[in-house]
Amino acid sequence: MADAPLAGIRVLDFTWVVAGPVATRVLADQGAEVIKVDRGGESAMSVLSPRRIGINGDLNRNKLSVAINMAVPAGVELARRLVKLSDIVIDNFSARVMRNWGMDYASLAAVKPEIICISMSGLGHSGPRANYVSYGPTLHALGGLTLMMAEEDGAPAGYGYSYADMAGGYTGALAALAALWHRRRTGRGQFVDLSQFEALCAVIGPALLDISVNRRAQQPPRYDSQEGPAAPHGVYRCRPRDGDDDRWLAISIRSQAQWERFVKALGSPPWAAAEKFRTLFLRMRNRSELDARINAWSREQSAEQAMALLQQAGVPSGVVANGADLCARDPHLAERGFWPRLPLGEGVTTQVTGIPLKLSRTPAAVRSAAPEVGEHDDYVLGQLLGLSSAERADLATAGVIWPYTGAKSGAAAA
Amino acid sequence: MENAGALTGLRVLDLTGHRAQLCGRLLADMGADVIKVEPPGGDPARRIGPFAGDLPHPDRSLFFWFYNLNKRSLTLELGHERGRELFLRLVSSADAVIESFAPGFLAKQGLGYEQLSRTNPGVIVTSLTPFGQSGPYRDFEADDTVLAALGGMLYVNGSPGRPPVRPFGLQAYHSAAYYGAIGTMCALMARERDGLGQWVDLSMQEATASAVEHVAPSFFGAGQVEPRRGTLHWSRFFRVGKCPDGYVLHCTLGDWTSLVEWVAGDGKAQDLHEAKWNDFVVRRQQAEHIFDVLDEWVKDYASNDLLERAQLLRLPYAAVRPPEALFEDAQLKARDFFVEVEHPELGRSFRYPGAPYLFHGTPWRVYRRPPLVGEHCRQVLCDELGVGADELAVLAGEKVI
Repeated sequence: MADAPLAGIRVLDFTWVVAGPVATRVLADQGAEVIKVDRGGESAMSVLSPRRIGINGDLNRNKLSVAINMAVPAGVELARRLVKLSDIVIDNFSARVMRNWGMDYASLAAVKPEIICISMSGLGHSGPRANYVSYGPTLHALGGLTLMMAEEDGAPAGYGYSYADMAGGYTGALAALAALWHRRRTGRGQFVDLSQFEALCAVIGPALLDISVNRRAQQPPRYDSQEGPAAPHGVYRCRPRDGDDDRWLAISIRSQAQWERFVKALGSPPWAAAEKFRTLFLRMRNRSELDARINAWSREQSAEQAMALLQQAGVPSGVVANGADLCARDPHLAERGFWPRLPLGEGVTTQVTGIPLKLSRTPAAVRSAAPEVGEHDDYVLGQLLGLSSAERADLATAGVIWPYTGAKSGAAAA
Repeated sequence: MENAGALTGLRVLDLTGHRAQLCGRLLADMGADVIKVEPPGGDPARRIGPFAGDLPHPDRSLFFWFYNLNKRSLTLELGHERGRELFLRLVSSADAVIESFAPGFLAKQGLGYEQLSRTNPGVIVTSLTPFGQSGPYRDFEADDTVLAALGGMLYVNGSPGRPPVRPFGLQAYHSAAYYGAIGTMCALMARERDGLGQWVDLSMQEATASAVEHVAPSFFGAGQVEPRRGTLHWSRFFRVGKCPDGYVLHCTLGDWTSLVEWVAGDGKAQDLHEAKWNDFVVRRQQAEHIFDVLDEWVKDYASNDLLERAQLLRLPYAAVRPPEALFEDAQLKARDFFVEVEHPELGRSFRYPGAPYLFHGTPWRVYRRPPLVGEHCRQVLCDELGVGADELAVLAGEKVI
């Protein structure tokens, strides 16, 4: 088996919250050595889960951690020594933070000319709002996503998750890979100024073109298909499961052939033969009546059985999976090994999100659980920087590093 | 070289249907030569609206425009012996092939990974399919809605007691497309060591599940099935409130003291000045109460005024804006986010959303407007592959191109 694609690439990772760690998770999964520069103490992330399980465990698996106090000059000096040993430096602070530390691209290129710096700030490094503070939900609101996902009365329905963090994170990972590729060709590093806001806006393209080309104000699409007309199209309520009445099946029907297979799968009920449902155009026009008919059918089915029945007939449909469906009951994801198990020590394990890519010759792997803060200071400070234990003890006393003192959470908490 | 993109010199053959076209575009935007190989008559994605001027036409689909900017177009009938042969000749000089056919389809055509790698051992084949190349759902049918459902994305959107709500934008497809581009680049990096390509199997369902940051972690980390919570974000740090002119996003991260002073100055702080709220852990635990108080407060504000003033105090507030507002956004303007793309045959240019990142060394840029159907047949086949003009006419006659 060949080495992982990014074996030998070292990433110095200053990211936090979600978008940045998503980017470095991609790189770590593909074999890069990602060294998280952590800090001690509580943060918005540390209250969301323990370090090695939950969201922090999911985002930071496969990474190493060293805890350096960037607020003091000696901490910055340590970080700059690590930059010399790294290929990529990545952060998702607003523009001023790295600059104030003297860790901006110009300063780091002076230390290491071929360094690649990826800065994933919320709104970019230039412009009147470069210093805005933002999180994923902030960007959804500014970008139109919050308003365009609405309840029937037009009120924002509420995203359960933060797509902005993913758009930003994946874009950041891709930027790192493209910059690495370019450096292989030319020997030159560079600075990438990534605005998470722009990464998000860049992928609502057809709607933005409809505005700029057709001057059309956008309406929340609700259950209108966003990839050409479809009817029926939406979620249909199913039979309760173990007392849980929040069960739904998604169905999307575009072609006439799909409709005919759908009707047959339902046992060719008389209502489905009505003229008003004969063509896609008519089904679109008589949608509420169509949806009522399908809901009356689906209400009597289990979501899983209805999906099996419809998929057997070649009709696009799927259970609206909740956490348990997704993680414990989806036979397909289980068979593909999408929820790998990681040891946390003392016989305790946890499961994390897998890697959606299978490379036939150099498969990626989830290798290690997320590190505790500073867990790899032996390796990073000792081996890489060659600091003796006495020197490290002095740095700890002076408040330059937070030394690792053993597991604080993880096994016990799991 | 000054204006070269980071991926200049790479050649990619893009066979994807409408689900996966963003993947090739991400590479084309950085300078890769991405040749869209369409069936004669054009990619069915060209029939997806909206259309420029609301006139349905294969060269006026805004859906197609967005996903195919910067690509070239070659029409080729892969089901025809001559078409296959020409495609294999293209493969011999390509770095990567991206495709989104149903699993097994290309192999049946004699164009599966095995066959392509015999032609060119260095080629990378990236397959983006709804459920991947293996497993019990392999042959299931899905669109973005079904993928959002089975990927755990749909269930958590909207309010408890109401049906789950479909996200805006094709977020399942896009998650997959990013990963497809990432996987292609990773395989290229691996090829650097030994010159060998490989097959990248991308499951859109898995990419979708990966893009929902909290559902699986809550299940595995705390045994919790994440519910729908309306606009209260799962972290409990954000909720939408209503101003007279629209909506605003509250946030209890940031400088709490400044926020409370501001609200108290308006006489609306109620109990928020109490010391216990200084701890953001407590604010998180009792988020509903805090947001209820703040909802009362914002009733007197215009949403944009609130946003500007909050951000001056470094509070991560936002106005809940319509997408139209992006075209007037001062920040996007200052960074030249929107770019003009000339469409000479329509006699005008249009504003497209632009770069998600500013590469200082190797700029993102517009190389060419989205291609017309088969626009680059002559260029690719005659100029680059050495097919004669007579032969081209024969191919067109036999409906190979």
